[in-house]
Amino acid sequence: MNKEEIIEKLKEAMKGSSEVQVDWDSVSEESTIESLGFDSLSILDLIYDVQQLFDVEFEAEAMVGVSTVGSLVDFLQGKLQS
Amino acid sequence: MVEKRRVVVTGMGIVSSLGLDTASFWLNMISGKCGIKPVVDIDVSECKTPYGGVVNTDQLTEALAAVAVRPFERTVDMATLATHQALLQAGLIVPGQEYENQDVAVVLGSAVGPTHAVYASHKAFHEKGRRGVRPTTVPRCMANVLSSQMSIRFKLTGSNYVMVSACASSTLAIGNAFRMVQDGYTEKALCGGTDAIFDPASFAAWNNLGVMSKNPDPEKACRPFAADRDGCVLGEGSGALLVESLESAEARGAKVLVELLGYGESSDSTHITTPSSEGQAKAIQMALDNAGLKPEDVGFINGHGTATRANDSCECKSVRQVFGGHADKVLMASNKSFFGHMLGASGVAEVIVTALGLAAGKVPPNRNLDNPDPECDLNFVGPEAMNISSPIAMKNSFGFGGNNAVLILKNG
Repeated sequence: MNKEEIIEKLKEAMKGSSEVQVDWDSVSEESTIESLGFDSLSILDLIYDVQQLFDVEFEAEAMVGVSTVGSLVDFLQGKLQS
Repeated sequence: MVEKRRVVVTGMGIVSSLGLDTASFWLNMISGKCGIKPVVDIDVSECKTPYGGVVNTDQLTEALAAVAVRPFERTVDMATLATHQALLQAGLIVPGQEYENQDVAVVLGSAVGPTHAVYASHKAFHEKGRRGVRPTTVPRCMANVLSSQMSIRFKLTGSNYVMVSACASSTLAIGNAFRMVQDGYTEKALCGGTDAIFDPASFAAWNNLGVMSKNPDPEKACRPFAADRDGCVLGEGSGALLVESLESAEARGAKVLVELLGYGESSDSTHITTPSSEGQAKAIQMALDNAGLKPEDVGFINGHGTATRANDSCECKSVRQVFGGHADKVLMASNKSFFGHMLGASGVAEVIVTALGLAAGKVPPNRNLDNPDPECDLNFVGPEAMNISSPIAMKNSFGFGGNNAVLILKNG
């Protein structure tokens, strides 16, 4: 799965658990996850949705340092390749 | 001993099958409209009673969006709307302004809690195993989710907890909030309750319990105090009150909607589902004593009136036991034929009806009571709304488990 495909799938997952109205077409790799409407609670739902969508499993703590869409994509690419 | 303080209601909010605000709720009731309809959100093809007082999910979602809240869990969603209305009316929040911390206690009731989230988590576990269960199941399914979420969402920094006493839950919550304010433990309290029972498993269980009406006509099924009543009809929703000391309301210039005069609570200590008139009468007498009133002072009783065989005759016997000869004069009604039995939320919804009725000098009709049961020998409101002149009313709530809670209100 390439980067663009991962981003498109991620956007779908995020739409389901974001707390705010977001212009999803303008989301880029530089967009921070916080700016897309995720707090400490809804991020747990996002992690769950990502694991279901990409059929990967990881502990929430593994995402420490993941703060932007780009870093989340890199994190997922690493998980999908391992 | 600290002098008892007068306690008043300055804000009210409602979410029900008859309206998502107090104005439309009251207008629909006073004109005799019924909120009981076929259940459409879940498969009810095998249910014996496939209808109820269901809140329209699209309207609920729209109302949440209007206050910029995403759906979280159905009971919390409903409570959020009711709380928003109550705080807005009380003047404690202002549209368009950020909420600021306020020293307000949160005391909410629920009979069964967040059953939709519980159902979803169990379904996910059985379908997908451990990995299928959403981690936010934990905060969604906490027994105190209602009070904690209201405290967090509206920045209410007083104590917060949920009181659980079946169908008496929200009346119990209001009664205890009343005591907290009366005795000076808090200046203000948000109180009320919520239940949303129309998840597939809970609704199936109720259908199998044998206490629900099998009348084919949803609008005629719930027949409190009628000779041909054959069981209750479920409803869902939320109600919230902002109660505060009279001094606090006057100092803020807040409009008093109704005053809480007294509260009584007791346990039957007999049977899990069969009520006892001894236990109920004890709570009724306690509420009168607490208010310093005699039965003759009460002009209207908004009963528990579930339309089950057991409840209605027992409740009438309890009222007669305490009210004696005045039981032939005091007006008696049940509101459940309008919006079903909202379980833990029924008490607060019916307190709101009572408060609005006292303010209007008029009470909604007893729908479907064309032929009262001889065992229910009280002075019932008729098939049309009736004027009332007394400023004082009583609200009864009785729950499975033998929980009895009774409030006395006075027009503000």
